[in-house]
Amino acid sequence: MDRPADIVCDTLVVGGGAAGVAAAAELCRAGLTVELAEQRPALGGAYYRQPAGRAAGMQAGDRRARQWSRLEDELRRAAVTPRLRHVFLGVDTDGLVLLDDRNGGRVRTVRTRAVIVAVGAVERVLPRPGWQLDGVVTAGGLQMLIKETGEAPRGDIVIAGNGPLAVALAADLARLGRPPVAVVEAGDPLARPLAALRMAAFPGLVAEAAAHLVRVRAAGTPWLRGSRLTSISREDGRLLASIEDRNGATRRIRADTVALHDGIRPNDFGLPATARGEPFVLRAGDCREALGVGAAEADGRAAAREAVALLTGTAPRRHAPEVSRQRRAQAVLGALFKPVRDDGGLAALPDETVLCRCEGRTVGQLRAMLTEPDPVGPREIKLNGRFGMGSCQGRFCADNVQALIAAARPGTVAGPLSRDRWPARPVLIAALAAEEETREE
Amino acid sequence: MVVVGAGIVGAATCYFLSQRGFRVRLIEASAPASAASGAADGAVSVASKRPGPMMTAALAGIALYRQLERDGLFAGLFKSRPTMMVAENEKEAEKLVEHSAALAGEGMRLRHLEGGALRQHLPGVAPHVRLAVEVGEEGHAIGYEIVRRLIAASGVTVERGVAVTGLAPKSDGKTVTAVRTARGAVEADHVVIAAGGGSAALLGLPDATRPRKGQLVVTERSPALAASLPGSLMSCRYLLSKDAIRAASAETGRRFGLVIDPLRTGQFLIGSTREEREDTGNDHDAVSRLLASAVKLMPALAHLRAIRVFAGVRTATRDGLPIVGRMPDIENLLVATGFEGDGICLGPLVGREIARLVAGETTELDLTPFAPGRFEPRSLVA
Ligand SMILES: Cc1cc2nc3c(=O)[nH]c(=O)nc-3n(C[C@H](O)[C@H](O)[C@H](O)COP(=O)(O)OP(=O)(O)OC[C@H]3O[C@@H](n4cnc5c(N)ncnc54)[C@H](O)[C@@H]3O)c2cc1C
Ligand SMILES: Cc1cc2nc3c(=O)[nH]c(=O)nc-3n(C[C@H](O)[C@H](O)[C@H](O)COP(=O)(O)OP(=O)(O)OC[C@H]3O[C@@H](n4cnc5c(N)ncnc54)[C@H](O)[C@@H]3O)c2cc1C
Repeated sequence: MDRPADIVCDTLVVGGGAAGVAAAAELCRAGLTVELAEQRPALGGAYYRQPAGRAAGMQAGDRRARQWSRLEDELRRAAVTPRLRHVFLGVDTDGLVLLDDRNGGRVRTVRTRAVIVAVGAVERVLPRPGWQLDGVVTAGGLQMLIKETGEAPRGDIVIAGNGPLAVALAADLARLGRPPVAVVEAGDPLARPLAALRMAAFPGLVAEAAAHLVRVRAAGTPWLRGSRLTSISREDGRLLASIEDRNGATRRIRADTVALHDGIRPNDFGLPATARGEPFVLRAGDCREALGVGAAEADGRAAAREAVALLTGTAPRRHAPEVSRQRRAQAVLGALFKPVRDDGGLAALPDETVLCRCEGRTVGQLRAMLTEPDPVGPREIKLNGRFGMGSCQGRFCADNVQALIAAARPGTVAGPLSRDRWPARPVLIAALAAEEETREE
Repeated sequence: MVVVGAGIVGAATCYFLSQRGFRVRLIEASAPASAASGAADGAVSVASKRPGPMMTAALAGIALYRQLERDGLFAGLFKSRPTMMVAENEKEAEKLVEHSAALAGEGMRLRHLEGGALRQHLPGVAPHVRLAVEVGEEGHAIGYEIVRRLIAASGVTVERGVAVTGLAPKSDGKTVTAVRTARGAVEADHVVIAAGGGSAALLGLPDATRPRKGQLVVTERSPALAASLPGSLMSCRYLLSKDAIRAASAETGRRFGLVIDPLRTGQFLIGSTREEREDTGNDHDAVSRLLASAVKLMPALAHLRAIRVFAGVRTATRDGLPIVGRMPDIENLLVATGFEGDGICLGPLVGREIARLVAGETTELDLTPFAPGRFEPRSLVA
């Protein structure tokens, strides 16, 4: 049944980062009507994050600023007016796309023929004892805060985890004159000469990384490679991070903020499990495959062409050589940052580690469910164990719960703790409730 | 013993059979509580019932919940609380007065609240509400928690992901010897079909039941607001909606009931629709209307966030009564299905009664109004 909608358009693009902006401009040039919805007050996404409100923000490097103004121009020429502060909630069973319009305080329904979802990546953070304490943040979250406000939190900062973002954040902090007291890295890129050689094929990435490293070194921040942060506790109002090096030796570092980061993965919250005819739902950019900003823009354009093909009845295909190139680059980066030793992953976490921070559920509670004689399945674990049931809707724990289930049951595939239902984000009832009761009975 | 279906009815049947020392195999097409029992509100309530067999059953159902809570089996899972039936306009108030008279006639303890007393007792309720009737001594339980507790206590390992495809009758046609599954036949002395919407097909009663979908909303936690509500709020429209079902059985349009249930977690469960379909999707139209009526009744809900919506499918019968008992002419085949919106309340009770039937005892609840024989069987799906 075709219910009336608040907004009608040929195509809707969700997400105003590199992928979404490129896709919207491309669709417009193809002669389709386009709506572009972005949850934040400004376009930009993760990489091109803009200063918030009147804050000074942080000066973006020249290259980054140039690339962004090129994308902005393109959007302007295409005459797309973005809908800012519109949060994508999902697609309902009538095929209506739901946007939470936070300017108007209403949920708007959109009838469209194709949706390109370009909501980027989400950060992966592995649980550690103490990660639920105040003062523990994610590295990506901290980086966004810096880009928006141009300020770092007060006090000493430790960055810990795995992957190149930690160094990028450390460099940003150094530029603000607030270098972290340590960067703890599970891998050891300097000890992987083969992977380093293969990086030579990607001079842009190498130049960026080198600049970051030079800055961090100049600031005197130790880069503790082959080490991991094993737990965090609170002592005298400050955080105490336990760091274990590759030989098993432990040291403690005091800090006021601990920023964790274990990579990124596509954001697939609220996406319908399968496309059921119109609207066609396509993913683009980091939310399809997290490959960095260059790939995201190329994939956004390719997704737009695919959508046009779908709507005009020609054979759809996604073709973007840049995406393949960046996929190779990410593979090399992965090898370069491969953790030095197998720390046993989630399986090695002590029972008291909090797994779900919203509901305070622990690893031990999950393990207890998994060792009962009756082999409970993922949905039973979710409902009865209250994992992935809190107000973050599983954003921070669903993957980890799944991985722990898989580890406890070798050979079985743990289904996902479903996240394909709308609303993808908590939504104010005042905004979701119908304006008036249209039918009295 | 083979029990088919691990919803609340199958799980309870399995538990009470195990208690009696029977060896039980619980065979489930998907996973325990994966159907209606895991997607329901959990009113253990008689408030909306009229005098008759369903009221009698509901009262016995509530009593059993209480007893099992005292015995420890349901400890921590049964929240004792009243139901507040509220009337928002003249028509509803009339209906409510009439309904409460019927409840009182059955000896139920009620409290009528109007004016100042109403405001004081239910501060969160909108000023236009003119009458509330408190039905005491009821409660709430969450279906999937009860199912899990029952299964754990019976000590069985559920055979998950095994669909029963048919029954194997003996040549005399008077008994079944096994149930068929994709993994081969499972022999049994007794077979209990508690497969919700999948039951009728197995029993050759294809027209006896039909799916009736309901959509529900869960809010974030708001302990203070939840604590201001002594029990669940039930709009009288719920009664009208039930009426409508009886009057227009062929109707396909959806009806909106409204129950606002404060949960132990401080969250609210807001439900639900009645729709003649069996998908479990959610649509904006239904959810937004459900929430509009909830906010109208309890304005402070507007400031909470909805974190989850979901839908479940009730198994309804042509005459509105469940199907419970021995299949006519087949002495070792029993059925328990068709509980529509009452299976959480009645599940444990029905499981206990089925176990009695299997053991050859007389039941405590009179099951004759629910007899499967009132439907004309085609033939067993072999
Ligand atoms: C923490 C972090 C750090 C990164 N650092 C780097 C780096 O240093 N270098 C690099 O090359 N790449 C980096 N990346 C990856 C890089 O940000 C991306 O490759 C690039 O920004 C991807 O562009 P995109 O358009 O796919 O997604 P994004 O740029 O992430 O844009 C997605 C947009 O969607 C919006 N959105 C999300 N959900 C919704 C919703 N429900 N409704 C409406 N809008 C929504 C977001 O607000 C955002 O504006 C980083 C990623 C993350 C997560
Ligand atoms: C929205 C909504 C709100 C509700 N609110 C309430 C309430 O407030 N109070 C109340 O008392 N009740 C309520 N109910 C009703 C209650 O949920 C049901 O009556 C009850 O759960 C039915 O339990 P059941 O065990 O009969 O069926 P189900 O829970 O449906 O279980 C049947 C099981 O059988 C399995 N199965 C099916 N076919 C086969 C097969 N061929 N082989 C093997 N297994 C099979 C299924 O997978 C399923 O697990 C509500 C229901 C809904 C949908």
